[in-house]
Amino acid sequence: MTVEVREHQKTPLWRNATFLKWVAQIGVLIALLALFALLGREALKNFNQSGISFGWKWLSDPTGVDIREGIDTSPDSGVRALAVGMVNTLRVGISGIVAATVLGTLIGIGRLSKNWIVNKLSTIYIESIRNVPLLLQIFFWQAMALVLPQLTTDDVGTYWFKASNKGFGLAWFRTDGGFWPWMLFVVAGIVVGRYVSRYRHRIQEETGRITYPGLSWFATVIVFAAVGWFAWPILRILAPVWHGIASFFRALPPIVYPIVGAIASIGFAVLWIRNFFESRRTPAGFGKLTDDDWFRVIFAGFSGIALAIVSFVIGGFVLTTVGGDKATVAELIGRGIANVFDWFGRSFEVTSGSPIVGSRPEVIVKGAGFVNFSEGGVVMSVPFFAIWTGVTLYTASFIAEIVRGGILAVPKGQTEAAMALGLRRSQYLRLVILPQAFRIILPPMGNQYLNLMKNTSLGIAVAFPEIVQVGTTILNQTGQSLPVVLVWMGFFVTLSLGISAIVNYYNRKMMIVER
Amino acid sequence: MTMHETTPERVLGDDIVIAEGVKKWFGDFQALKGVTTRVKEREVVVIIGPSGSGKSTFIRCLNRLEAHQEGTIIIDGTELTNDLKNIEKIRSEVGMVFQQFNLFPHLTVMDNITLAPIWVRKTPKAEAEATAMELLERVGIPEQADKYPGQLSGGQQQRVAIARSLAMKPRIMLFDEPTSALDPEMIKEVLDVMKELAASGMTMLVVTHEMGFAREVADRVLFFDYGTIVEEGTPEHFFTNPQHDRTKLFLSQIL
Ligand SMILES: Nc1ncnc2c1ncn2[C@@H]1O[C@H](COP(=O)(O)OP(=O)(O)OP(=O)(O)O)[C@@H](O)[C@H]1O
Ligand SMILES: [Mg+2]
Repeated sequence: MTVEVREHQKTPLWRNATFLKWVAQIGVLIALLALFALLGREALKNFNQSGISFGWKWLSDPTGVDIREGIDTSPDSGVRALAVGMVNTLRVGISGIVAATVLGTLIGIGRLSKNWIVNKLSTIYIESIRNVPLLLQIFFWQAMALVLPQLTTDDVGTYWFKASNKGFGLAWFRTDGGFWPWMLFVVAGIVVGRYVSRYRHRIQEETGRITYPGLSWFATVIVFAAVGWFAWPILRILAPVWHGIASFFRALPPIVYPIVGAIASIGFAVLWIRNFFESRRTPAGFGKLTDDDWFRVIFAGFSGIALAIVSFVIGGFVLTTVGGDKATVAELIGRGIANVFDWFGRSFEVTSGSPIVGSRPEVIVKGAGFVNFSEGGVVMSVPFFAIWTGVTLYTASFIAEIVRGGILAVPKGQTEAAMALGLRRSQYLRLVILPQAFRIILPPMGNQYLNLMKNTSLGIAVAFPEIVQVGTTILNQTGQSLPVVLVWMGFFVTLSLGISAIVNYYNRKMMIVER
Repeated sequence: MTMHETTPERVLGDDIVIAEGVKKWFGDFQALKGVTTRVKEREVVVIIGPSGSGKSTFIRCLNRLEAHQEGTIIIDGTELTNDLKNIEKIRSEVGMVFQQFNLFPHLTVMDNITLAPIWVRKTPKAEAEATAMELLERVGIPEQADKYPGQLSGGQQQRVAIARSLAMKPRIMLFDEPTSALDPEMIKEVLDVMKELAASGMTMLVVTHEMGFAREVADRVLFFDYGTIVEEGTPEHFFTNPQHDRTKLFLSQIL
């Protein structure tokens, strides 16, 4: 008996799965672009009707904004004011992330502790902090700091530590003449130490003799730092080199920068596509690419070209500088780089001072009966204290739960196997349990970091000059709401993408190899 | 001192495991109701019994994965108490192989095996790796050293787990149903390794349902039920002439 095979029919287009998928992908993309274009046009129209012209001139215009704390308290331009706000946001955010991670991990482990007191304290901490709105907590810490004693003329003097309702003064270090030449020694120590530790590691692998590779790396850095502490003035001979590099960048035609940008973005796309093809290569030969794969490749290629074009567009953008003259962004980049090297050169010309000096907080009389901290030491203002303590404790309570969940998710058999091998608790926690818990913990931990960064914008409630507070002030002065909002969004999106990229990188590194 | 011969190369030595009236409760449920037995050096003891009879609990008490509450356990002259030093000493002398392998999934086969020698015994890495390679050859999978556990078959994983225990040069090996999670075709490769280990003179306590293994290798069989040893004797005794009704019932169910 023979099987009848009907003649192969051509599939009509509307039933072709491949075709439909492509139409859907491209359709969504076009719809999205159209939506953005439409929204942008409407917004512009409304702006023009309301008499405010949408623009970026406020970035370089002098502002009357005074900022209560930061790298510059009376910035000369809008962009400078925003930069101060950004740095303040990053200060709270980054130090908060570090502190919340340490605290949260300890409390998370504490909640698993068999020690009754530790266990209950951790539980109480988590339950009370997690269930109170963050804004209230920030107000609470502000109130706590404001009931501290006032500074009076009796307090004038120098301290190691001083708590007051003007903030907390703490003895700290500051850089002095010779810091940067000394840093060059330290960096050289780190690089040389890496080779030393590699070499000693190899010896240990080959002979089994314990050679302490990590310790010898550390020792190398210490030796370089110690020598550099006294020897840094000789690096004065490098000053002309830095100035030379500065002149080189000043002489470079500005068109170079967009070209570099374009090459980088296209190169990045090519690299991505190559890696992608590489990842589809199996021992059995080149795997067949699906439509989705092709879409990604084409998308990556287009993005590369689009970014290249964008870098030329941005590079050619003409801005008015604070000095009043006009320059393209590319020219400004060139000037910026040259200025950095010139500044570096100048700091190498210094021959007096000591790289790092101790500095203690000092209370002084500032004008008629007005007492406050001077520049000395490090002073944590009340708003900084309130927002920092608030976001750190709040995020730590979530991190604690994530850490606890991650540790509990590691099968009990892992602990038993490690114990049966004779490993001590501290050893198996570090070598067996935490590395496995880490890969479960990492993705939700990244979310908490993003939340913490975004929550710093509550600083506006206690008048902490972070990016949103500074932006609001500018917005009120200039009426340029849309551009300011765009800057905010751009800042937070960049920050979030940065954190995500770091988390994803580690996530991929930690991934457990399965069949 | 009694010296009784089994196979020409395997001469039993002194008592190395002594359990006297070992009792263990989980809450108000008593899992062990006074277990008394002695195991000699180089002896192979197989433990059988119905589910929930306390077999696992007993051998887990021998390296303090569970703490017994009454009775005495003495391993190679060291008594198991709350003394951390004793527990540490005993754990480094007693190896254990689990039903679920419990390999460390984030480490390669090589790192799984060298972890404890390096951190507990402070063996230089190069030496630990050389020993690990020898052990991998002994269990028949030297070519898998750089793979991760997730990339191996069940039988291969269990053989790595045995090699990992052996790397600590234990004097006693405990096996808790080492083949129960394996497909039939992989059971033999693991049993072969265990037979070779027994022939080499290792003291072994094995919880298993593999009666073929018991008949071939065991010096003695313990039958557990309701937290006590109901009957013990040579494999011959069990297969030809069991005394207790519960033993007969159990053997009729699994043979
Ligand atoms: N951690 C525990 N908490 C409470 N009860 C337990 C615990 N571990 C074991 N038990 C109980 O103790 C009894 C003996 O358990 P054990 O695991 O020793 O049995 P087993 O003989 O090994 O059985 P199986 O053949 O099923 O492995 C069982 O009734 C079990 O439910
Ligand atoms: Mg069991």
